[in-house]
This record gives sequence, C-alpha cells and structure tokens, in this order.
Amino acid sequence: MGATVAAVISVQRLEKSFGTTRALDGLDLEVERGEVHGFLGPNGAGKSVTIRILLGLLRHDAGTARLLDGDPWQDAVELHRRLAYVPGDVNLWPNLSGGEVIDLLARLRGHTDLRRRAELLDRFALDPRKKCRTYSKGNRQKVALVAALTSDAELLVLDEPTAGLDPLMEAEFQQCILEAKAEGRTVLLSSHILAEVEQLCDRVTIIRQGRTVQRGTLAELRHLTRTSVEAVVEGPVPQLAHMEGVHHLQFDDPGAGGVHVTFDVDAGNLGEAIHLLADTGIRTLVSQPPTLEELFLRHYDDESSPPVEPAGER
Amino acid sequence: MTRADFTNTFVMMRLVLRRDRTRFAVWVLAIAVLVLTSASSVKGLYDTPESLAAYARLVKDNAALIVQAGPGFGLDDPTVGAVLMNELSIWAIIVVALLSMFTVTRHTRAEEESERADVVRSTPLGRDANAAATMLAVLLVDVVVAAVVAGGLVGLGLSVAGSVAFGASLVGAGVVFASITLVSAQIFPTARAASGSAFLVLGISFVIRAIGDVAGNGLSWLSPIGWAQAVRPFADERWWVLLLPIAASFVLVALSAGLADRRDLGAGLLPQRVGPASAGALLSTPFGLAVRLHRASVLGWATGVTLLSFFYGVVAEQAQRMLDDNPDLADFFAQLGTGSITDAFLATAVTMTALLVGGYAVAAVLRLRTEESGGRADPLLATPTSRARWALSHLAVAMVAQVALLAAGGLALGLGAAVAMGDAGRVLQLTGATLAMAPAAALLAAIAFLFAAAWPRAALASWVGVGAAAVIALLGGVLDLPDAVKALSPFHHVPAMPVQPFEVAPLLVLAAMGALAVAAGLGGLRRRDMART
Ligand SMILES: Nc1ncnc2c1ncn2[C@@H]1O[C@H](COP(=O)(O)OP(=O)(O)OP(=O)(O)O)[C@@H](O)[C@H]1O
Ligand SMILES: [Mg+2]
Repeated sequence: MGATVAAVISVQRLEKSFGTTRALDGLDLEVERGEVHGFLGPNGAGKSVTIRILLGLLRHDAGTARLLDGDPWQDAVELHRRLAYVPGDVNLWPNLSGGEVIDLLARLRGHTDLRRRAELLDRFALDPRKKCRTYSKGNRQKVALVAALTSDAELLVLDEPTAGLDPLMEAEFQQCILEAKAEGRTVLLSSHILAEVEQLCDRVTIIRQGRTVQRGTLAELRHLTRTSVEAVVEGPVPQLAHMEGVHHLQFDDPGAGGVHVTFDVDAGNLGEAIHLLADTGIRTLVSQPPTLEELFLRHYDDESSPPVEPAGER
Repeated sequence: MTRADFTNTFVMMRLVLRRDRTRFAVWVLAIAVLVLTSASSVKGLYDTPESLAAYARLVKDNAALIVQAGPGFGLDDPTVGAVLMNELSIWAIIVVALLSMFTVTRHTRAEEESERADVVRSTPLGRDANAAATMLAVLLVDVVVAAVVAGGLVGLGLSVAGSVAFGASLVGAGVVFASITLVSAQIFPTARAASGSAFLVLGISFVIRAIGDVAGNGLSWLSPIGWAQAVRPFADERWWVLLLPIAASFVLVALSAGLADRRDLGAGLLPQRVGPASAGALLSTPFGLAVRLHRASVLGWATGVTLLSFFYGVVAEQAQRMLDDNPDLADFFAQLGTGSITDAFLATAVTMTALLVGGYAVAAVLRLRTEESGGRADPLLATPTSRARWALSHLAVAMVAQVALLAAGGLALGLGAAVAMGDAGRVLQLTGATLAMAPAAALLAAIAFLFAAAWPRAALASWVGVGAAAVIALLGGVLDLPDAVKALSPFHHVPAMPVQPFEVAPLLVLAAMGALAVAAGLGGLRRRDMART
C-alpha cells in the first residue's frame, strides 16, 4: 500500500466508451494528499468524463479508479461525505434562491458553517436571495463555488470552476484555493485558464483523446520543452547546425562583424549549446523559457503537427 | 409588427418540424387510429335504422351523458356520423387541443428556459419569428391530423361534408388552444406554469360547455370546445361557426405578440420575486427538496381536480331526473343490472378523476427525467445522497400527492353529489370509491418510474399507459373492446364503486405489480450511467 495511502485519487488505465465514442482510452491520474492538481486537456479530451467516473455518476469499462481509498462506484455515498464538487455547467433549481441551494447542499453533506458561508457570500459578492433562474452564468457558478467552499470536505473536485467568473472573482477564487491548500485540503482542478493553473497547481496531468500525455510539476514540464535562444556572437558557429537538440537555427549578419544567431534547444542540450556560443565569444545573449501556452499547445496539438514556434520569434 | 419581425420564420418552422417529427408522427397515428377504429366500430354496432334509433332514444336529452359527450346534434334523425360525433368528438377535440398546447410550450417557453433560445435569437431572426413558426407548425400538424381523419372517415363511407367539417372543427380547436397557450407562455416565467394555466383553461372550457349543453342556454358559445361541436359535423353542418376559432386565434396571437413586446426573453410578465436568503427547515433532505419542487404543481392539480369533480357531483343529480321521463333508459339500466343511472354516472366520474390523477402521477414521476437531463441530478448525487434515495424522493412525493388528489377529488365529487341530491351519505361513499383507485393510478406512476429510473430515454413511453387507460375507460364501449384489451387498463380492475361492491384483492394485486416495477426501476438505476446534460 505504502505509496497509495498518500494518493487521494489514483486512476490507472481507465477506459470508457459511449457506444462507438471512445471517451477514455487508458487514462492515468494520480493526485496526492494536500496538493492542488491541474487536470488539463483540449475540449473533448475526457476531463469531465473522468471526473464523473470519480463521482460515481458514470461506470468505467476497464482499468482501476480509487478515490480517498474507496471505490467511486461502490462507496459513492460514503465518499461523498468527504468531497465537494463544482460542475462545469452549473444547473440549479430555477425556483430556489441561491441561498437555499447553498444551504441544501451543505445540509446534505452534513456540515453547515454559517460564519464561513457569510464570509464567502461577501467575498464573491453574491446576492443569496435571487432565484437561480435569474442568476447570470457567472453567478450560478459562484453559487456552486460557495456551496463547495463552505464545506469542510477534504477533497474539492472542480470542473472548470471559473469558466464564467470575472477577473476580480477569479482572483478571489485563487485566494480561496490557496487557503484550502493551506488547510491541507486536496484539490483536483480541471481548467482551461493557464494563468490560474500556473498560480495554483503543484502538479498537472495533461490528457488528450482519453489518454494521459504528460504529468509532473510545472518545472518538470518546462524541462521537457525547448528554450529559445537569441545571441550575437563574434563569429560563425557552424557546429550548431549539426548539434543534437537544436531546432530552427538561423544566422544573419547584423553588421559590425558580429553574427546574429537564433535557435531553439531542448532542455538537455542547452548547456552544450551555450558552451559553443561562449567559445566563439558572446556579445549579447537572451534565452527564454517556453511560455505556459506553448507548453500546453504542444501537448494539445496532434502529435503529427510541427512543434510550436518559440516565443522569441513572435 | 413589421415584416422584419418575421425574418426566418420558415427556417424556424422547419426546425420545429425536424425536432418533433417523431412526436408528431406518433400523435397523428394515435389520433387517426382512435377515430377510425371508433368509426368502424360504430358502423358495425349501429348498422340498422332500428339500432340507430334505439341509441338515440337512450342518450338523447340524458344530462349525464351530455356532460361527457356534447349536445348530441343530429340524434333526432340519427346517422352513423352523428352517433360517432356524440361518442367521440369531444375526446378527439381534447386530444388535438393537448397536442397543440404541448407543442406550443415546448417550442416557446420551455425553449427560453433552456437558454437555447438565446443562441437562436442571436441569429438574424425576427422578434416574432419563433412564435409564428411554432403556430404554423401546429397549424400544419393539426391540418395533417384533420386530413387523415377526414380522409379515413370518407373511406369508411361517411359523408364528405361531415368528415371535412369534423376535420376542420379539430383544426379550429387545436389552433385556438395553441393560441391560448402562446398567451400564457408570455405571462408565466416557466413552461410548467404556462402549460398548467393553459390546461386550466381547457378544463374550464370543458365545464362551461357541459353546463351550457345541459341547460341549453347558449353558455357553450363561450367555450372553444363548444365551438368545435357547434360546427355540427354530420348534422346539417354550420360552416360559419368555423369563423369563431379563426377570429379568436387572430385576437389571441396578436395579444401574445403585444405581450411579447413588453417582456424580455426568458422573463415572464409576472415579476420575479426574490427568494429567502437561507433555506427553511424543509430543504434539508432529498425528500424535502422534492416536496418543494412539486409543491406548486400539486396545488394547481388539486384546484383543477377538485373543481371538475365537484362539477361532476352536482350534475349527477340530473341523471336521476332523466330516468323519470325516459322509460327506455330505465329499462336499459335495469337490464344491465348496474343499479341506478346515477350510480353509473358517478362511477364514470370516479374513473375520470382517477384518470386525471393518474396523469398527474406520471407527470410527477417523469420529473426525475427532467431533473437528470437538466443537469440537476449531478450536484445532488455528488453529495452523500444515493441514487435510490434521490429517485424515491420524487416517487414518494408523487405517490403521496396522488392519494391526496384522489381524496380531494372524491370528497369534492361526494360533496357535489350530496348537495345536489340532498344525500349526505354520498360524501363518504364517493371519497372511498375514488380513493380505491389509488393502487391503479400508482401502477401507472410505477411504470413511469421504471422508465425514468432505468431507461430515461424511453420515459415518454410512460404516457402510452395513461393514454391506453383513458381510451379504454372513455371509449371502451364505443370501440366494443374485448375484455382482454380492457384488462390492460389498471383502472378496469378496480371495482367500479358505487355500482360494484368493494373488493380488496384486485387492489393488492395492482399494488404488488407497482412495487415490482419500482424495484425493477431501482435495479436499473443502480447499474446505469447518469445522463450528461
Ligand atoms: N454521456 C455521453 N454520451 C456520449 N458521449 C459522451 C458522453 N459524455 C461524454 N462524451 C464524449 O466523451 C468525450 C469526452 O468528453 P468530456 O466531456 O470528458 O470532455 P472534456 O475534456 O471535459 O472537454 P471540455 O474541455 O470541452 O469540457 C467527448 O468526445 C464527448 O463527446
Ligand atoms: Mg468538460
């Protein structure tokens, strides 16, 4: 068991089909206790399906899924005492007020904290007296968020929770998640908002077409990608053209005797490339790590498509 | 209103027809089968002038039957067509009205609720295009129904003029009730309230024409159902009467367009009040939530059922009066051995109440399906609420409410009868008789539960049970259905009190079947995927 005790969510080779649609095709996901875990992937990748399997709303075809050391299908009711969920598309009872929905969900979970409820309503600037029918999309989202955040759940399962929020509310949300993390809670966060992922997530799992294509900390992911380098050196550096891990190499002559060189280099070969430049004599050097967008776009794109252009050339 | 307000009306109409083509096909087929089998059955039953005359003697001027049938035009010199109209026309009118009303709410208010309307409105679509498209689609479907029915009747050898007049009267009624629904869809903010209020108008129209037809005082001219019958198909047709539904529809559609201009998309004319900032004690359990969700519709149904049943009770006394001036009738009932005609009429009234309540119970149980497809089951099931508990909460509310509705309806029927006949004993008798229908109505609800829980995509098939029970109860006689077919209706197995004595065994069997259906539904629910929104 050792390793699995720490895992709050542990999913291996998960498969799920809807008729002929293969929604999950051997997906792996591991979320450790106390972390905020980003769950990313292009539209239709299978994030919501995975989450609904973890909530016992869908049955999986093959593979294993464990949640809080229980079986998400068999032990759904018991497990749900310990988690709170915010769906991607928040649909509420049109003739109940927001406050009523928040209270109802809290009571069903068996934990009501009026002080915290009031505080969150205030922070999210939500009027609890409005009927759900009359809330805007963002405000409906806030109702679900307040309901989840007032709970004392040890696991928060959030499926694109900020899709409709304005930037102010987005900041408030991020604050709340950091607080939840400080309290030792675990968060599974599916999101398309990369800035939010970068701010909040310790580790991320990227999936595409129902399969996990990458996981690790953001630093590790960065390490897997290329850095773009732009330098002016004293003379030509022909060895670069033959070096492994160097892409998009370009030389041109800015005049005044120097040579302007730009290229992308895999993280593992960066040191060697800089050495070559240094041996020739560096006048100026700018190196840029990949932006988060580029990092994700690379994984979101089809494998066949060419790697993303480095930031330096934009 | 300008031309621009109707931009893309025909595109929208095609969308309505595309979305509902299966529904429409089922309705058209069902109505055609209903009318044509009734017609051929009437033709077979009344194939001699003597038998026609005997029918006419039996039903003419019989107040209790007029309530259920209409004024009985053409029964002085009865033809097969006139008999068919007397037996069937009112039910055909009501069914076409229901088809038209459902279609209108589905494509107007329900659409706005779903927020799809916003997307559609954002295209170059005229302000009134959706309403116009819906009305045109309703008109088209009603005309198809009428054409199939009229064509079939002519094929069976009935007069062309009568068949066409009947078809036209159905279209008229369908379009008027569609227009009424269109107006209520502007006033009320939810599809449920919009169709509920339109149904109430339908019920009131039924009662108004019943009073008018019995009293012969012209009151029926206030009821669109009365108009449809006043066309007098197969009885010296009065074509000009068709101008009434046409004129009324124009007025109502114009009214609705005016109201639509005064409100925002998605909102009603009635203002939205704010709700409480925190939940009351009721909203603490799934059952409490279900009570809250069903409360308004139960109150609406209670109003309708109580009023209609009370009316039936009051009219029952008229049936007794008939007997005194119609010896044929007295003979007829003596031969049937069913006791008094009053009792026979009251037994029919009990069945009517039970059918309505059965319809309520099915609609209430099918809320499970709309809760699920509307994405409101997910957030509940993500709390420590089991699927069974969620599903049973709605079933429990539906069951308790249907028993309460039966009690209210039976009490109203009994009170009406007691007041009219000066016989206080009727109250208890009829309340009991109506309550005895509970296991039968419950079985219909349990079948709906089986579908909604185990196989929600087919849940609308639950209405087949209600429709079949209604046909068997209301048209079993004219269709000359064999007992084996009648046995398919759960209501058929409940002793028809006060005519027949009470028996407990059939009720227990019905209840046991219901319990089985519920258990099977729960079994299916435990195994399946919850639907995605
Ligand atoms: N109930 C269902 N029936 C049929 N197909 C489904 C069902 N639920 C999901 N799918 C399919 O499974 C695939 C994965 O969908 P999912 O909703 O998990 O995507 P997602 O990663 O959440 O995308 P998004 O970022 O757009 O929310 C899609 O192809 C979707 O069409
Ligand atoms: Mg999703």
